[in-house]
Amino acid sequence: MGTREDEYDYLFKVVLIGDSGVGKSSLLSRFTRNEFNLESKSTIGVEFATRSIEVDGKTIKAQIWDTAGQERYRAITSAYYRGAVGALLVYDIAKHLSYENVERWLRELRDHADQNILIMLVGNKSDLRHLRSIPTEEAKAFAERNGLSFIETSALDSTNVEPAFQNILTEIYRIVSQKQMRDPPEGDVIRPDEPTDVRPSHSDNVRKQCCQ
Amino acid sequence: MESYQPEYDKNGLLSDTFWRTPHRAVPGRPCQTVQRTEVMSGSSYQQFQASVNDAWDLGDDDIISGIAETKISKAISQTAALNVINSHRNSSKNVNKNDVKHGSESVKPKVEAVEVKKNEIRKAGGAGSSGLLRHYPGRPRPVRLSALTSREESSESKLERFQQLHDSAVIDLDELKQLSWSGIPVKARAVTWRLLAGYLPANAERRVETLERKRADYKHLVRQYYDAERDDDTYRQIHIDIPRMSPLVALFQQITVQVMFERILYIWAIRHPASGYVQGINDLVTPFFMVFLQEAASGQELDNFPLDKLSEEQRDVIEADSFWCLSKFLDSIQDNYIFAQLGIQYKVNQLKELIRRIDLPLHEHLQTHGVDYLQFSFRWMNNLLTREIPLPCTIRLWDTYLAESDGFATFQLYVCAAFLLHWRERLMLEKDFQGLMILLQNVPTQNWTDSNISMLVAEAYRLKFAFADAPNHLHNAGKSDR
Repeated sequence: MGTREDEYDYLFKVVLIGDSGVGKSSLLSRFTRNEFNLESKSTIGVEFATRSIEVDGKTIKAQIWDTAGQERYRAITSAYYRGAVGALLVYDIAKHLSYENVERWLRELRDHADQNILIMLVGNKSDLRHLRSIPTEEAKAFAERNGLSFIETSALDSTNVEPAFQNILTEIYRIVSQKQMRDPPEGDVIRPDEPTDVRPSHSDNVRKQCCQ
Repeated sequence: MESYQPEYDKNGLLSDTFWRTPHRAVPGRPCQTVQRTEVMSGSSYQQFQASVNDAWDLGDDDIISGIAETKISKAISQTAALNVINSHRNSSKNVNKNDVKHGSESVKPKVEAVEVKKNEIRKAGGAGSSGLLRHYPGRPRPVRLSALTSREESSESKLERFQQLHDSAVIDLDELKQLSWSGIPVKARAVTWRLLAGYLPANAERRVETLERKRADYKHLVRQYYDAERDDDTYRQIHIDIPRMSPLVALFQQITVQVMFERILYIWAIRHPASGYVQGINDLVTPFFMVFLQEAASGQELDNFPLDKLSEEQRDVIEADSFWCLSKFLDSIQDNYIFAQLGIQYKVNQLKELIRRIDLPLHEHLQTHGVDYLQFSFRWMNNLLTREIPLPCTIRLWDTYLAESDGFATFQLYVCAAFLLHWRERLMLEKDFQGLMILLQNVPTQNWTDSNISMLVAEAYRLKFAFADAPNHLHNAGKSDR
């Protein structure tokens, strides 16, 4: 089963969203398995993968939900936003429409995800330099206006994939640990299943699998 | 073709105690007491025929709606199903014993009783009397049994039977379905699929004319919808999905092939506005396309077959026939693809309820670790398992789907249940959410062959007869009961 580690200090649920064909599944397989297929099949519904990273000597386990991009799946996929503490909102730097739709995806998150979810805007396919239709600066400015972090990645040549996930997971970790310093939980062990600001409403998935 | 009433609605009244009283008469029919020891005798087939004769009065175009009316004598069908299961159990070392053991309490006694018959079944097979076995209605072919006789011999004689049927003036679709359920020989598959899909008329006199008309109709549709101004959103989504369908198979990387798929899907989507194109439907074209291509390119390697080797006319036939068969095929599951995919959500809940009844420990294991059925079985339902098993297996599975007399929409639920139960041992070993989900999303079927599918549908058949008729067995399906 590959990526399973039983020991971790924190478990964070992260969702990958964005238009169809922008490379969400490719980012996921690059991050969790270091694999890339030039053409990977369309995602049906949602697919799941996991990977752990270290931050400040703590093991953070990312539970990542990859969602189908097609509008028709929205009713199914939006159910998975619940309990997510982070979202990678992906567009294709060579497809203007996928960038235009970022606003719609933000609305989706506002409607269905937790209020304090951290969102990172990800311009994928940065290897397609000659086809670029969204200038980096434009996307960066948009991200700042909307309080999102921003990065450009290439799942194909691996550029920035690792930092993208590292950054968002680290940022989530900082918020969670600061919150815990202010309001220390009972007992001296920090458990991943304790409520925090960034995860106001636990999903059943997360909670149950933490309480085994 | 409209969606059909699931069988359990119609027969719920008479089947509540079915497993406990197998000899119970079916109301409205001549009393049929089935002696277990006579299971292999020819008289059972006649009983079956007598019991269904009145159910068949079909026009060529409403095969499926006719099927919904069929009532197979329960006792006979069920005994046949148990035979198959037991023969699998007895002749395969790899059989998962728990499949039966974890069945509901009411199933247990019957299964054990039937176990006694295994020697008889073996005798029947060993004596080369597989002809007798073939007479069983809707009977899943006992794969392991057929291994007792010469495999080639039996497949040749099967092909002959198909050819005889195809040659008859008015094809007995009932018989064709029975024959097809256990798998169709490659050479007979394309014609049989057209017949079973309700595309090719059973009446020989009408076949040529119908095909010509339908193929001309399709060309007209192409001009009307595809060659005209297109709906951007629909076309774009199809256009994105086609090239990445089977990225590693050279056949599907040919522009000629991709454009054929695009046209089929685009026209289907435009003509079905309630659903439109939904990702995954593209995978459902592939089996039809492959079967009709196989017919046109007979005997040649298909993985990198250059489509330009065929004449334009041949390609048109493949495309038009794929379109019409896909359309017929999807008619019964259109609610899978409407807004919010309600049909799938409903079936996922049915699956959950079914597993809870069949295998409570597995169900509780999944629930304890927070695995929701929607998370893994959505794709199974949406893509009819095409993503979970190799393409040749899908084609074999569709032999059964197309031959399934109640329409495969209901049967597919039981196939999904059987598929989940197939992995129960491994699933029970997984100790957390991650492990379970990753296994469920990547079940190791790479080496599956037709015989795995035969086992799967036989198990699905058993489950269907054990549970489909139980009243209220899916009663709570709409409600969540985490």
